[in-house]
Amino acid sequence: MRPKVLVLKADGTNRDEEMAFAFKIAGGDPKIIHVNELRNGSERMENFQILALPGGFAYGDDIVSGKILAIELTSFFAEELRKFIDRKDTAILGICNGFQVLVRTGLLPFRNVGRMDVTLTNNDSGHFECRWVKVKVNKNSRSKFLRGLEERIIWYPVAHGEGKFFTDNKTLKKIEDNNLVAFRYVDNNGNQTQNYPANPNGSLNAVVGISDETGRILGMMPHPECFVRVEQHPNWRRGKVKVMGLPLFENIVEFVKGVK
Amino acid sequence: MIQKVRVQTIGQQNIKVYRLEGILEKDAKILAEKLLSESINQRYAINRPIHLEGVKAHLRGVAVIEIAYKPGVMNPEVTSIMKAASDLGIKLIACDSSMEYLNKKVSFNPLIEHIVTEEPQTLLIKEKQSQTQIIPIRNLNDKELLDLSKDKLFLNLEEMQTIQKYFQKINRDPTDLELETLAQTWSEHSGHKTFKAKLIVDGKEKEPLIQRIKKEALKHNKNIVSAFEDNSGVMDFYDGFGICGKVETHNAPSAIEPYGGAMTGSGGVFRDIAATGKGAKNIASTDIFCFAPVDLPIEKLPQGCLPPEYLLKRVVAGVRDYGNRMGISTNNGSVHFQEDFRARPTVIVGAYGIVPKKYALKDKPKIGDLIICVGGRTGRDGIHGATFSSGEMTERTIEVHSSAVQIGNAIEEKRMFDALLEARDRDLIRLIQDVGGGGFSSAVGEIGESLGVSVDIKNAPLKYQGLAPWEIWVSESQERMVVVLEEKNLEGFKDLCKKHNVEMAVLGKFDGSKKLNVTFGEEVVGDLDMHFLHKGLPKRILKATSPVILSTAKNLEINEFRDPSLIVQDDKIEEPKTEKEWIEVLKKVLGHGNVCSKEPIVRMYDHSVQGTNDLQPFSGVTLDGPNDSPVLRPFLDKKYGMVISHGLNPILNNIDPYWGSIWAATESLSNFVAVGGDYKEACLINNYIWPFPDEESLWSLDRSVDAVVDFMKVFQIPVISGKDSLSSTYRAANGTIIKIPPTLCMSVFGRILDVDKTVTADFKKVGSTILLVGKTDKSLGGSIYYQVNNLEGNSLPKVDLKLLSEVFTAVNNAITNGKALAVHDVSEGGIISTIFEMCVGGGMGADIHLEGVKAHLRGDQILFNETAGCFIVEVENKKVAERLFKNIPYHILGETKVDQKIEVKNLFKADVNDLKKAWQEPMRRCFK
Repeated sequence: MRPKVLVLKADGTNRDEEMAFAFKIAGGDPKIIHVNELRNGSERMENFQILALPGGFAYGDDIVSGKILAIELTSFFAEELRKFIDRKDTAILGICNGFQVLVRTGLLPFRNVGRMDVTLTNNDSGHFECRWVKVKVNKNSRSKFLRGLEERIIWYPVAHGEGKFFTDNKTLKKIEDNNLVAFRYVDNNGNQTQNYPANPNGSLNAVVGISDETGRILGMMPHPECFVRVEQHPNWRRGKVKVMGLPLFENIVEFVKGVK
Repeated sequence: MIQKVRVQTIGQQNIKVYRLEGILEKDAKILAEKLLSESINQRYAINRPIHLEGVKAHLRGVAVIEIAYKPGVMNPEVTSIMKAASDLGIKLIACDSSMEYLNKKVSFNPLIEHIVTEEPQTLLIKEKQSQTQIIPIRNLNDKELLDLSKDKLFLNLEEMQTIQKYFQKINRDPTDLELETLAQTWSEHSGHKTFKAKLIVDGKEKEPLIQRIKKEALKHNKNIVSAFEDNSGVMDFYDGFGICGKVETHNAPSAIEPYGGAMTGSGGVFRDIAATGKGAKNIASTDIFCFAPVDLPIEKLPQGCLPPEYLLKRVVAGVRDYGNRMGISTNNGSVHFQEDFRARPTVIVGAYGIVPKKYALKDKPKIGDLIICVGGRTGRDGIHGATFSSGEMTERTIEVHSSAVQIGNAIEEKRMFDALLEARDRDLIRLIQDVGGGGFSSAVGEIGESLGVSVDIKNAPLKYQGLAPWEIWVSESQERMVVVLEEKNLEGFKDLCKKHNVEMAVLGKFDGSKKLNVTFGEEVVGDLDMHFLHKGLPKRILKATSPVILSTAKNLEINEFRDPSLIVQDDKIEEPKTEKEWIEVLKKVLGHGNVCSKEPIVRMYDHSVQGTNDLQPFSGVTLDGPNDSPVLRPFLDKKYGMVISHGLNPILNNIDPYWGSIWAATESLSNFVAVGGDYKEACLINNYIWPFPDEESLWSLDRSVDAVVDFMKVFQIPVISGKDSLSSTYRAANGTIIKIPPTLCMSVFGRILDVDKTVTADFKKVGSTILLVGKTDKSLGGSIYYQVNNLEGNSLPKVDLKLLSEVFTAVNNAITNGKALAVHDVSEGGIISTIFEMCVGGGMGADIHLEGVKAHLRGDQILFNETAGCFIVEVENKKVAERLFKNIPYHILGETKVDQKIEVKNLFKADVNDLKKAWQEPMRRCFK
């Protein structure tokens, strides 16, 4: 059985089709659903195992990125979201705009629906950045989706204007102490970096993405869904390029399938 | 009652201001905490100034300046604030957002923004309903007719007289709406009067330009699905799909409000794709700009024109903010600089789409079919855009035409497209029409031409009350489309609009009257005969005269039409003598605006969205080697794809409009071939950006069109779409006239069976052989090498068209067989710049020796040569080269090497990274 994936869409979401494609070739059964379909009851979150929040500019990223959709989710789906994460066979993935939504709903990092503990704010460069970056997977990450990728250095594309991870020192320490950091931006030598453009947004301690402590919720700024075929990498013609986006989706699908 | 919430982000001095109308302070507090600010890095204050920690002492006490959109200018954020407040259970009557600045030197655009000096009492715009006016024209004399037309209708005397006669015949005077409708439909923008005119060229009659293009194009219809009849041209793709392309200019609005102009330009061309047939899906966009050099001395800037650096930055920001939000990858473009673009910049935006062939053509509407408007609401913004863009730029342009300017709201367009594509796939739609230039007047007028329609424009959703019926009718408010469907499909369509939060309203229906019947509620405000509206425009007869004849008539030297100081015989320029001189001039060439790296711009555009881009704008060891064209795979699970490219050279047409245009067309197709495209599987889109067509400019336009027709003949591929923009002349009160350089932009798109059989420009291997493939013409006129020496030259490189198809075929075979390791097209900056860019990508160097190239040519004539249709190709070794290219002209130029130096034997040795600095610096400085 292919696990059912709810790819959530709102006005301005624009990486929904790539996300659905990635889950499809990873063995999932994705369906793109508009948030209005959840609101009018024609679709239900409980019928799915994976909730995927794609990139884009939900509601134009007005006020700040992901804010309006986050408010919509916490206003109408707080209970359903809690039930969804309380099930043990579910997974949530937020990429780029989806990650921005996850932190603004409070699902990441501490699963406090309705309370924000970290933010993703304007890139230090002051503008949108579309480029390939190197990220290193935290070997002790709590995420259940990074098996086999521990300590690997991975190419991913980023494309965002508000990706700077930021929080207070206490929260940062808590996140790091609990190994909620999933990846960090690294330079050509593989070292965590604050230097532009290897760290494309100035994220605190080079944080790329974080998980919750159950490891079933993951948010990240780069786009693994746009690296599921080797030809998506700008240098595939130079050889030695390995597809590094697809394994993440396969891990998610395998994980929810494996939970009894 | 308005609550004012101020939000400050820690570390920033600027403060965001929200005004919330119709709620109490306690509700404002909820919104401030939950929606408008985030306590992690922001603080807020309600109805009081915000405490400014971290503000430098010298700024404390400095007056705060608040900049807001003018009332009536759409602020895209408002809808979102209203929605989120409602989701939080708080009902706002109205809201607005703005910025407070501490810095005294705040730049803002007074066309759309203002300094807030007093607190508004309400944010609602209330105006008295304006009435329809009758305009008495039947008894006007010629001067009065022209006065009526000036600054408003942009019609000439003959056209005004034709309208006068029509109303004399039907015994009444027109309404303002009827006059506006005629002016919109007959504008150069919509009517393409010059392209349809009969031409007298140097005393001889010639077919209208558009006919010449169409006639030749339709001879090569193997891949055409639809050409010249829809909002974009459609060519055959694979598996029952078509791909379509459209390229537009958006010069006039961009000249006075570059950010909004670029946004609405993008928005408009995306709608052209979405309004192709029953709706196509946008998959790529391209952006091509021409400006004056960014370091243009301020005294050279004509009055009423904006500085080029500001234009460049704001246009790029507009493209970025619209395209990125739409989720359409911007993956091809170029920027060109030439001084005369100070008169009016050229902003070219292209969009490409994919459509199932069964939806690629519009159905014919039937009597009883409904006309529905979808998307954004109608406001006063953008009134007279179409007529305005058909006029010349003067120092008064900014004052008179500010209503032609608006800001786009990409999300409005995105959700509308989502809804429309879904409606298309459920077979609900007969046709879609874009609401662009001329507003409803053009959109409804066009689709109703054969049957006749009756519409009640009181049904159109408005942004605010008070618009006169004619204003609703011709408003060019963005993000609106017109959809035609059968009445039985209305409910289904409504549901889909609701799902995507898209507003819609039934405007009217097809009635078989062959008339354009427009009412505003009960009141008849327009009643025009469709035949007169569409066929009544008098056909123009225009004279075109060559500079040779003009100069004889005026007793001038021919060269007096160009700045004589720029003209030089080709042998007058001296070759660099020392290594130092060589490197100096090479750095100037690489640092020229047309050659330098555009990476800082490209990185701000989302070129990875949709995941389809299999050949990205930059590749190579450090991911900064530029490529010629993107290769897209619209379906992620299929091997076939699409190649998009373009070519233009704004300087060459000044020297010779025929060969300059051939150069541009060749360059566009070479870019297509350089990545692996087969030219036989391509279609062309031509855009002519010309000064106002006086006799001389019309002559060069005629030559350019002849060049395009000849180009189609040679390659047997068609132009399937195009546009003209013939008003790029600046006229000052004191009589000064500046014409922009006449520019042909040729765009190419086509299909490719296997995207794996494509190649990038970065050198792949050390020790491989570097070839020059193709036939060079030694002329350097118009080259960057001449330009950095402040010369223009007299003869430009002529492309050998007879040979070119063989060159293209050979290069294509080399790529398809996997024998070409890297290919890069020779273009502005010449052969050496091409090799340099390949070294950058490869992280390598190159040893170059020129003995193999014709012995009688000088080093600079070879290295800076810009003959279009030539390629630098990397192959394994000389034997492979001979096997691949033995039947066409080719030369071995050298070998790649590890050491990152370009060494040209006997001339110079330059460090690639040193050159790279000069090449990257200009745009880095501009966009730092």
